[in-house]
Amino acid sequence: MGGSDMRLQTASSVISFSKELEGESAKFYEALAEKFTQAKDSFLAFAKENKKYVTQVERAYYGVITDAIEGCYAFDVEPADYALETKLAEGAAYADALSQVVKMEEVIVRFYTDAAKQSEVLMADVPRAFMFIVKKRNERLAKLASL
Amino acid sequence: MAVLEEPIKGVPLVKNYINGEWVESKGEIKDVVNPAKNETIGKVPISTREEIDAAVKAAHEAFPDWRRTTPVARARYLFRLKELLEENFEEVSRVQTQEHGKTIDESRGETRRGTENVEVACGIPTLQMGYNLEDIATGIDEYLIRNPLGVFGIIGPYNFPFMIPLWSAPYAVATGNCVIVKPSSEDPFSQIKIAELAEEAGFPPGVWNVVNGGRVVVTGMLEHPGIQGIAFVGSTPTAKYIYQKCGETGKRVIAQGGAKNFIVIMPDCNVNATIAGLMTSFFGNTGQRCLAGANLLIVGDDNFYKSFLDKVADAAAKIVIGYGLDESVQMGPLRDEEKKKRVLSYIEGGLQAGARLVLDGRKFEIRGDYPDTCFLGPSIFENVTLDMKIGREEIFGPVMSVLRAKDLGEAIDMVNDCDFGNGHAIFTSDGKSARRFQYEVVSGNVGINIGIVAPMAFFPFSGMKDSFFGILHTQGKEAVRFFTESKVVIQRWL
Repeated sequence: MGGSDMRLQTASSVISFSKELEGESAKFYEALAEKFTQAKDSFLAFAKENKKYVTQVERAYYGVITDAIEGCYAFDVEPADYALETKLAEGAAYADALSQVVKMEEVIVRFYTDAAKQSEVLMADVPRAFMFIVKKRNERLAKLASL
Repeated sequence: MAVLEEPIKGVPLVKNYINGEWVESKGEIKDVVNPAKNETIGKVPISTREEIDAAVKAAHEAFPDWRRTTPVARARYLFRLKELLEENFEEVSRVQTQEHGKTIDESRGETRRGTENVEVACGIPTLQMGYNLEDIATGIDEYLIRNPLGVFGIIGPYNFPFMIPLWSAPYAVATGNCVIVKPSSEDPFSQIKIAELAEEAGFPPGVWNVVNGGRVVVTGMLEHPGIQGIAFVGSTPTAKYIYQKCGETGKRVIAQGGAKNFIVIMPDCNVNATIAGLMTSFFGNTGQRCLAGANLLIVGDDNFYKSFLDKVADAAAKIVIGYGLDESVQMGPLRDEEKKKRVLSYIEGGLQAGARLVLDGRKFEIRGDYPDTCFLGPSIFENVTLDMKIGREEIFGPVMSVLRAKDLGEAIDMVNDCDFGNGHAIFTSDGKSARRFQYEVVSGNVGINIGIVAPMAFFPFSGMKDSFFGILHTQGKEAVRFFTESKVVIQRWL
């Protein structure tokens, strides 16, 4: 028998991956805030919210992780399916940037939705925390559409 | 996936914590080995009889003042300890992985479970309340008070180096007793870390002591007239011995022993969710826990049996084995080489007895560059019968023995034929089957669609048959009863 590829199956690895996504997208928002001052406040607010989501997910995970739930077997995530494009093309206009951000947010929403579904009956409060972020991110997508 | 940073640096020598001081033992020194890397990460003393006597003396001297410390004030020490455990959550979890080998998810789970006991003990002003009745006769009132007894010994096993002493110690000190914790000498750092945090929380000297060691310390605790009771978790033969010795010396005792847990699978179970539950149950903590699934008892026809077993074997074959500080790892090594040899001998024995190895855990791959000294893959045997050693004895490793029953009645009879009664479980979507199982099975903890029947801190950790010797259990209200004795006052004012 052999170990599988680098799919994420443990709760710990998925939580770390969610932190990476939040960190990477926050950095992108911070970069955009510098470049497109017309939406600076919104972009910085999104970056700040990302940090709050990391805390919420960690709080849910550290609060429920015990040996009675299947922390090592709750997920099956392929990280490549959720790769973020956070490099803005040279000379990209504001509208291009917004379109890229929307795509990025859609990937993140898909990640949390998939991860919540996979761990639905196995990880107690964690999938609920994921779905809370999905709700908040859908609200963010609506805000992005208005920018 | 990156390997998380190890918290234990260098090769520190573990000290004893007696009377609020960190003292070097005069005993022989033994290595503490990280089983994933097979490298020495520390040195632990095998303390002497004089050292356990010194701890008992210190605890005795601390007891009168500690008993007089109000329950509210004692609870505040525990609140501080709880806060410190939360602040150090990640570090203490990594310590467990480094010294024991379990995965980081498992260690964090252990930290949470242990910390929950401190939380529950914070409620001691309510939990320790007695009760009363006015006018048991005209003008006469009666009330019951729960008094602490003095000094307790707490003996921890290697498989949960952080959590298990916390099933007892917080309740003991919350009720006004003093404790001496003896961690397993195989992985003592977790208890040392807890004692450091207890010191930081400000517990007075002598209330919380740690004496490292082995048989001499245990015997010293059992024979010492100054120790009022013992809480022990370990193997059944040792639990029996401790129970007997405590009877001889008039001590209270909680002695939790081994197990051979059956997981009964009904054909109407939710197969996918059940498989994940089984992986945790049988192979979590590398099978080294008294609540681990050991015998998978499948009810149903040949088609269901074959299709279910194929899925179990397929899932088990994919388990990622490696160092627990690698977040992608699902199963760590066994605690040491001797334990691996013991499990291997059961695998050989199973083959000789005629069981068929569906999945051979002797062949495995390790993720990362680690020596295979203590590692073993998951093994699955079928055609196991209850007269085989692998069907009856506790293996304490990643080995699943698969048996069959024609119906639930036969399954329950097979479960109840077992010498142990720790954590049997059933997976079914039929309430009637679940209730029948819960009602008829002789087991201190019963799981219904739960593979690891680990009671929360506010419930007792029960056990029956050869899994438990004693009356009251660790955790929650029962622990409060264990660590106190009842004083009844009958009062009349003339």
